[in-house]
Amino acid sequence: MEHITYLDNAATTPIRPEVRTAIVPFLDERQLFGNPSSSHRIGRTVRAAVEDARRRVADVLGTPPSGVVFTSGGTEADNLAVIGTALAATRRNKRMQVAVSSIEHKAVLDAASAVVSLGGESQTVPVDTSGIVSPDHVKEVLGQEPAILSVMWVNNETGVAQDVGELASICADRSVYFHTDAVQAVGKVPCDLSDLPGVLVTISGHKIGAPKGIGALIIPEATLIEPLLHGGGQQLGVRPGTENVIGIVALAVAVELAVVEQQDASRHTRLLRDELEGRLCSAIPNIQINGASRRAPHISNISFPGADGTAILMHLDQARICCSSGSACNTGTTSYSHVLRAMGVSPDSARSAIRFSFSHDNTTEDVDRVVAVMPEIVQKSRSLNGAAP
Amino acid sequence: MNGGLAERSSAHYRTDMLHDRPERHGTRGRALVAMSGGVDSSVAAALLVQQGYDVIGVTMRLFCYGDQVPNRPCCSLDSISDAASVAARLGIPHYVLDFADRFNRDVIQNFVSEYARGRTPIPCVRCNSLTKFRDLMGHADALGCDYIATGHYAVARQGALYRGRDPAKDQTYFLWGIDQAVVQRMLTPLGHLTKEETRRCARDLRLVTAEKRESVEVCFVPDDDYVTLLAQHLPADSPALTPGPIVTSGGEVVGEHNGYARYTIGQRRRLPGGSKTPMYVTAIRPETREVVIGPRVELYDHSLEIEDINWLSPPLDRGARCVVQVRYRSKPVPARVSNSATVHEGKLALDLIEPVCAVTPGQSAVLYREDGQLLGGGVINRAAVGL
Repeated sequence: MEHITYLDNAATTPIRPEVRTAIVPFLDERQLFGNPSSSHRIGRTVRAAVEDARRRVADVLGTPPSGVVFTSGGTEADNLAVIGTALAATRRNKRMQVAVSSIEHKAVLDAASAVVSLGGESQTVPVDTSGIVSPDHVKEVLGQEPAILSVMWVNNETGVAQDVGELASICADRSVYFHTDAVQAVGKVPCDLSDLPGVLVTISGHKIGAPKGIGALIIPEATLIEPLLHGGGQQLGVRPGTENVIGIVALAVAVELAVVEQQDASRHTRLLRDELEGRLCSAIPNIQINGASRRAPHISNISFPGADGTAILMHLDQARICCSSGSACNTGTTSYSHVLRAMGVSPDSARSAIRFSFSHDNTTEDVDRVVAVMPEIVQKSRSLNGAAP
Repeated sequence: MNGGLAERSSAHYRTDMLHDRPERHGTRGRALVAMSGGVDSSVAAALLVQQGYDVIGVTMRLFCYGDQVPNRPCCSLDSISDAASVAARLGIPHYVLDFADRFNRDVIQNFVSEYARGRTPIPCVRCNSLTKFRDLMGHADALGCDYIATGHYAVARQGALYRGRDPAKDQTYFLWGIDQAVVQRMLTPLGHLTKEETRRCARDLRLVTAEKRESVEVCFVPDDDYVTLLAQHLPADSPALTPGPIVTSGGEVVGEHNGYARYTIGQRRRLPGGSKTPMYVTAIRPETREVVIGPRVELYDHSLEIEDINWLSPPLDRGARCVVQVRYRSKPVPARVSNSATVHEGKLALDLIEPVCAVTPGQSAVLYREDGQLLGGGVINRAAVGL
C-alpha cells in the first residue's frame, strides 16, 4: 500500500502495540469479561485490573488514585469539571459561576455556555497575540469569585502552552478551583501533578495511543463535583456506569508510556517540527507561524495568507498527506478558528491556517513529502483567490 | 440500477471497514462533483462512479448562519455531513471548500442590491455562473479534473446544454450564465432521469439522502424571509424597506406600502382592497418609491430588454427567432430578436410573438431553440421596450 504521511496526531493516534498487547486478554480470555462491581471471582478479577489501572495512571502523573475518575473521553471530563463544579457550588450556597479562557476546546466553552443556560454565569479570560493567558486578567476575573477557572494546558490548535503552575497558585490563593484540559499536554510536556495539588485535570486516551472512548478527570475530592450522570454509584458516584474495562486498561498503559517517553518524544517531534517550519519558511513567501513563542513541541500551526485552508487540505490529501485545517468551519458555527481569532490573527491568516501535528512515529521523510508539495499547493490556492503567489 | 454498490448489503460493511479499501479510481477521466448533501447531487456522484469516472466530491460552504437558524434542510452542517456519508458509501474522496467570502460578494450582495433597486433577483443564476461553474471550476482545474458535474436536471452534450428530460424538473433556466468553455466539460448524469427515478436510484443505493425533502427556498434565506435578510444588509432608512405610495398606472395614489422590496411584479398580496377587479403589482419605481398597481391586463408585455447577456451558442442576429422563458415556471413563448436600433450595446431587445404576463426586471430571460437547446440568456432590464 502506498505510503500515507500522517501529521494529524493532535486529532487522534493509532493504537500503540503495547496498548494492544495489554487489552487483548480482555477480548480473548474466557474469564476476563466480568463486571467490576460484581463481588464474585469473575468480577473481582476485573475490578483488580481497573483499580490497578487507576493506580498506574495516578502514580505516573503524581496524583492520588482516589482522584482518578474514568470518563468516556476528554469531552466528558471537561463537561464534568466545568458543569459539575458549577452545580456543586450551588450546594454550598455559592453562585453558579465559571470562568474559562477564550482559547479553550469547545468541550469547555460549550460546557460554560451550558452553565449559563442552566441559570449560571460564565466569564471569559482573553489571551494575548501569542496565545498566552495573562495572570493579570486571571486575577481580575477571579475577583468575581467563580467556582472554577478552566485554562487548557496545551492548546490543541496551536500547541501554545500555559504556565499552569502559576495559574493554579493564583487560583489557590483565592480559593477558586482550577481545571486544566491536559489532553494535548500528556506526553508532550512534563506533567507532574504533584506540583499542582488540588487541580482538576482532563486527560484523553486516543491522543496517546489508546482507543477512542476513554479518558479521565482527575479531581482533588469527590464532593467538589455534582455528577452529570446518575446511576449505580460506581467511581464514588461521580461518574456512575459500568466501567469501560478495556478502555481503562488501555489508558493506563498509554499514559505510562506517554509520560515515561515524553522527553525523547518531545526531542524527536521538536526536531521534525522545527525542520518543517524552517523549510516551509524558506520555500514559501509570506507565511506566518501562529503562537510560536511558547509551545509544546508536537504542533505547528502555520498560516499561508492569501490561500485557503480548506483547499490546501484537499490538495494535501490528494498527495496522501493528512493534517488538519486551523479552521473550525466544519463545525458550522464560526467561519474561522475561535482560537486564532482570540489571538487577534487576521481573517486572511486564520482562513489559511493549517495544523501539522507530530508523533514519535513521524520521520524526516514525512517532512520531505510535505515540503515537496506545499509550495505548489499554496501557490495554486493563492492564485485561485487572486492573491500574490 | 446494477453494479456492486446496490448489491452490497449492510452486513458486508464490517468486512469492508476492516480491510484496506482502496478508493475507487475510474478510467473515464476525473470528475469533480459538487455535492450539496441533497439527493440529486448524491445520485449524480453515484452514477458517475458507476460509469467509471474517477470522482472527487466537493461540498461548498457558502454561508454560515452560526447558531441562529437550526434545522435547515440545505447548506447546513447536516448537509455537509450527508454529503460526506454518501461519499464514504461510494468510496470517493470528499472535501469541504470554503466559498463563504466569494459567495457573499458575488451572490448575496447582488441579491440585496437588486432588491434595493426594485428588482427581483434570482441568486441561483449567479451562484451557477460565478460560484459553481467559475470558482469551483478553478478548483476542478487545480485538482486535475477533466470534468465538473452537478445534480442539475439538464443535459450537456457536445458543448451544448439542453433541457432535462423531466419537464417538471428541468433546471436549464438557471444555467444560462455559464461560460461556454465550461459547458464542454460539464457532466449532467441526471439529465435523462425524472425526479422519481433519481429517488429510486438513491434508495437502491441506500444513500442516506434518498428521502430528503426538496429544498425550494433560496438556500441562504432562512424560512423564506428575505425581507429580514435585506434588513440585515441595508441601512435602516433604505428606501427599499421604508414606506412609499401605492399608485395606479394613471398616477392616483391608492395607498401606502412599507417598502417596495416587499413587492414583485404580478403580486396580489399586501395591496389595498376595494377595487372592482383584482389588482396586481405592475411596476416598481425605486426613484419615487412607488409601487404601481393595475388590473391583470396591464401585466402583459409584448417585448422586453435584457442585459448581462451570455451566449452558449453563436449570438442570435437581429430578426432571428427563438423561444424565450421569462420565469422559472413560466411557459416558454416564441420571440424574435428586435430590429430596434435604440437597443444599447451589451443589451438585447426581444419582441414577443404573444404577450407574456409579469415580465419582471431582475429575473432571467432564457433563450432556447425549438428542440430545447439553451442558446443563452440575460437579466431582464425592463419590459415593454419602446412602448
